[in-house]
Amino acid sequence: MSPLEIGLYIFIALMALFASGMPIAFALGAVSVAALLFTEGTSSLDILGETFFAGLNSFTLVSIPMFILMGSAVASSPAGKDLYEALDRWLNRVPGGLVLSNLGACSIFAALSGSSPATCAAIGKMGIPEMRQRGYPPEIATGSIAAGGTLGILIPPSITMIVYGIATETSIGRLFIAGILPGLLLTGLFMLWSIYACWRQGLSLKSMADRYSWKQKFEVLPRVLPFLAIIAGILYVLYGGVATPSEAAGVGALFCLVLVVLIYRMFRAKPIISMFRDTAKESVMIMMIIAASELFAFTLSLTFVTQSIAEWISMLDVNRWVLMAMINAFLLVAGFFLPPVAVILMTAPILLPIILQAGFDPYWFAVILTINMEIGLITPPVGLNLYVINGIAPDIRLQTILRGSLPYVMCMVLAIVILCIFPGIVTWLPTALMGPAL
Amino acid sequence: MNIFIRAVEAASRLCGLVSMVLLAAAVIVVSEMVFVRYVLGHSTIWQTEFVIYSIIASTFIGAPYVLLLHGHVGVDLLPNALARGPARLLNIVASLIALVFCALVAWTSGHFWYEAFSRGWTTETVWKIPLWIPLLPLPLGMIMTCLQYVVQIVKPVEPTQPEALS
Repeated sequence: MSPLEIGLYIFIALMALFASGMPIAFALGAVSVAALLFTEGTSSLDILGETFFAGLNSFTLVSIPMFILMGSAVASSPAGKDLYEALDRWLNRVPGGLVLSNLGACSIFAALSGSSPATCAAIGKMGIPEMRQRGYPPEIATGSIAAGGTLGILIPPSITMIVYGIATETSIGRLFIAGILPGLLLTGLFMLWSIYACWRQGLSLKSMADRYSWKQKFEVLPRVLPFLAIIAGILYVLYGGVATPSEAAGVGALFCLVLVVLIYRMFRAKPIISMFRDTAKESVMIMMIIAASELFAFTLSLTFVTQSIAEWISMLDVNRWVLMAMINAFLLVAGFFLPPVAVILMTAPILLPIILQAGFDPYWFAVILTINMEIGLITPPVGLNLYVINGIAPDIRLQTILRGSLPYVMCMVLAIVILCIFPGIVTWLPTALMGPAL
Repeated sequence: MNIFIRAVEAASRLCGLVSMVLLAAAVIVVSEMVFVRYVLGHSTIWQTEFVIYSIIASTFIGAPYVLLLHGHVGVDLLPNALARGPARLLNIVASLIALVFCALVAWTSGHFWYEAFSRGWTTETVWKIPLWIPLLPLPLGMIMTCLQYVVQIVKPVEPTQPEALS
């Protein structure tokens, strides 16, 4: 059997197991074991335990649970509410008012949590009822938060970027910096659309804003600024190369935990235990997928599937932008069904050589890939953010949320097109701060 | 049977607690390491390894607990679309496949652990701890995950909210 045929069978088996609802980690593992048994015989299973262990034996991976803990510390406290209030008080004179405050709060919260559903839940719980109360139509109120939440995986620190960095052996600090400008670009596009949508609905935005005194504007700052300082600190040590991502994440997590406990006086054990439980749940899930994809990547490589696909694509000799469009379409479809981390781990070892061969920058591709994954978070059938919003505002129908978020999907597609035309938006900042990529 | 189910579920919860403690320990040790290295300017010896191994242990020991919480992410479109009977059947088949996989990992990693233990291997670093210590959580966690899967297969289903993707 040729490697491409083996690859096809692996793909079919994987789809079948995914469809059964089996956990992604175990499905990846089971398919790998079956492929190894089939092609190499029983002796190949000796390495199973060792490979599973080796998949997690890295100091860089430590940053994932740490950043998740940092996010859930902030998410389980009223910090999201304060962040939102602070922005509302400072931005309420800007046209677009409340929606813009919400999108801004989403992007800042994204920088603290690295996770999309957490961002959606933290800002949406406060923002959606407030927007509806002030007369914003439900599709704008929900769509903007669903879309704003997706910024969590683009704006650093981002779990998705860490996983990409590990899978492709690229610099995580550089990936983080590369995500900043595209993250701001996307936030800007979301805001422009929101202003237009509100204007089209005939909402006079300025008159809806309350006025806040300077005292009100300043009294929220002490609760918000320490968190902003942590974000700034993490970015500083990462791009300055002062510390590794894991060290920055560990200290960031400890600081956030201590800040949350002190500022919000959460001195009882219960909220802290639930913080750790949320962290353990998400981190174990992601780390198990990582361990299993180590085995999966090993299997694909041992059976020459990875190498053969890369070879086959290069023989097709298509235009590099046609190739990029095909890869985008593939990622988009994968993102409709699978969580970002799984898509990246499964496809990165196959896609990276193809991308490099076609002359694309791996950091630029990381951003394109991430925006694709963001689209998957707010599109059916498994758009996680849609369900998070549905949980926060159960009286708004899923169709309404979907209709509201569709224009934001278009903004993301537009962002991908813009980044394809002006790749400098991704590559300029990392080069300016860290020098050219090696 | 009920006693078995309750015992396994209690053990899985205990695993969850151990996993959280290991995670907390890793956070504290990373911060201590950063303090020693960047503030005091000393070199560190055991911290990096300790943190890696406690995160690995936290993952594998936490696996049965996360299974108990239905926290291992999967694509549940088809199971949700099916009627209860076929969905249950599909769930049993999927659980059996996952069970076989976990049992294989438990067996091979147990073998690897035994080799490390009986031959007195140590880690290839300055700290040089016996390798069987960091290796132990993998077979332990996988054996517990297998037991938790057995519970999932034999336990009568109560209609629960399917866990969303994250």
